[in-house]
Amino acid sequence: MDWLRGLLLVAQRDLARFWRNIYWLAGQLAMNIADLVIFAVIFRGLVNPAYIPDYIRFITPGILCLSIFISAFSIGREVGIELRREVTHYLVSLPVTRGQLVAGRILGGVLRGFMYQAGFIILAVVLMGLPSVDKWLLILTASLLLAVTMSGLSITVSTLTRDFNLQAAIRSLVYFVFFFVSNVFYPEKALAVRLGSAAPFAYYSPMSMTVNIYRYGFNYVSSIDVFFNLTGLIVWSTLAVLFTYKVYIRNLTG
Amino acid sequence: MKSKAVEIENFTKKFGDFTAVDNLNLDIYENEVFGLLGPNGSGKTTTLLTIATVYKPTSGDIYVYGHSVTREDYVVRKLVGIAFQDPKAMWIDKPYELLTWHARIVGYSSSEAKKVVQDVMELLGLWEHRNKQFYQLSGGTRKKVELAKVLIQKPRVAILDEPTAQVDVLSKHALWDVIKKLRDEGTTVIIATNDMFEAEKVCERIAIIYKGKLRALGTISELKDSIPSGDLVEVQFEGGGIPEGLLRALRDIGRVEARSSVLKVYVEKGEEKVIDIIELFRRYNVKILRIMVKEPTLDDVFTYITGAKLREES
Ligand SMILES: Nc1ncnc2c1ncn2[C@@H]1O[C@H](COP(=O)(O)OP(=O)(O)O)[C@@H](O)[C@H]1O
Ligand SMILES: [Mg+2]
Repeated sequence: MDWLRGLLLVAQRDLARFWRNIYWLAGQLAMNIADLVIFAVIFRGLVNPAYIPDYIRFITPGILCLSIFISAFSIGREVGIELRREVTHYLVSLPVTRGQLVAGRILGGVLRGFMYQAGFIILAVVLMGLPSVDKWLLILTASLLLAVTMSGLSITVSTLTRDFNLQAAIRSLVYFVFFFVSNVFYPEKALAVRLGSAAPFAYYSPMSMTVNIYRYGFNYVSSIDVFFNLTGLIVWSTLAVLFTYKVYIRNLTG
Repeated sequence: MKSKAVEIENFTKKFGDFTAVDNLNLDIYENEVFGLLGPNGSGKTTTLLTIATVYKPTSGDIYVYGHSVTREDYVVRKLVGIAFQDPKAMWIDKPYELLTWHARIVGYSSSEAKKVVQDVMELLGLWEHRNKQFYQLSGGTRKKVELAKVLIQKPRVAILDEPTAQVDVLSKHALWDVIKKLRDEGTTVIIATNDMFEAEKVCERIAIIYKGKLRALGTISELKDSIPSGDLVEVQFEGGGIPEGLLRALRDIGRVEARSSVLKVYVEKGEEKVIDIIELFRRYNVKILRIMVKEPTLDDVFTYITGAKLREES
């Protein structure tokens, strides 16, 4: 009970900070969607109507992924700033265990992801129709696992180095790899053309796994390998939590 | 025998090859105000952060009420509260939000938290600043927010790292009273400072550390007495001269400097010797107009100790 209280308070702190940065996040998302449109225009071939007749319905689940990525990843940005300003010293001096602290931070990122995604879920329902109850369950599970993965990875990334520029570079790299080596923005057929031999890796991206589940959940595709995608996400999120624990803790004990 | 709140045993902390604290041994007793005195870079903060489990010792250990900071860090954190030297906050944080969250995480319920935070903020004159953002606050106000955390927490052991640095003189006196009150309510207080006046004003026992090593330890008067011929008894007397016999008798007590109507005697433990001096003047029928015992300042002690140690080393 006590354990949960400490954990929730840590997460609550991150959530409160999240609302203060909401405009920054909106800006990030707007920028990302703008990128998307520009890329779509440049690589016209990728959004060839022959591949995707209804790009809006195709991309909406991708935007759901994007919203989780941006909001859950924002926790890492804050953790990074805290480390450099030594606010971390304050956090580790508090009467909570290191485990509570790490779990609270990850949960903070997850809650940010959920909050931010909520609006886009409504948008998705408007654009794509209401999923059935069992599919809702699948969608929310995928959101949760992706949020845990992204929250954890972002904390790991920001904690690996105290160099802010390097953090930003790694963050971009993660973004690039996860989104471009995935079928979030482009269908698999187009990927095979663009990525060549790297294309099979797209199957293992947590983004692809999540967007597959979203597309199935919102009835854009009629069937997917639910087991593969869900297990994959569970593996990703477990790895992310383990990495976070290892790397964040290492920084906590100077 | 006073019980020990904190035991520092062979504590060494290195950052890479650099030794910030070198084999420190210290006991801090329950319910005292203990001062760590030393110039910048002497290892005060490093020691305090290790007691607060922020750093881990490179070797040796520290015990808080018998609990090891290396093996039982969580238990130690429940006993210790710290006000950092550099206030820990993001620029857009607001004092009230920061402190209510702090109150919650150290164990208050939501309604208790509101009350205790308001009480402490009013006590420190922070209430009017409660909704300002951190970057709008003066250095002194930021330090008060930091101190507020500890006052809210009322820990068994309070660590205050240069609590009144950047605070104006008037507020300093108020804060010293607050710190003493915290002690009176049962908290053991450890203060790091490089302000001799502050140390003299609030600390009961002091450790002087310099370049990572313990140089002296004791109560303020013990430290002052540790300097040879530390005190000065100054006597103003009536008449033009001093009888030769009196002068000889005084020279047995300490080094004497005589001027026309003022006489200075350098002694150890001036407050005891002054009685002997008065008695001697009475015996020789020289009327005393004024007599004063001047203690060396802590500054003198500090200069003496660090200077002497440095001379020994080189
Ligand atoms: N995290 C750190 N990394 C490297 N050196 C440090 C670190 N913290 C402190 N030091 C060094 O250790 C010495 C003691 O520092 P500190 O404990 O802050 O002294 P004080 O608080 O007495 O001013 C200083 O020379 C300082 O530069
Ligand atoms: Mg310091």
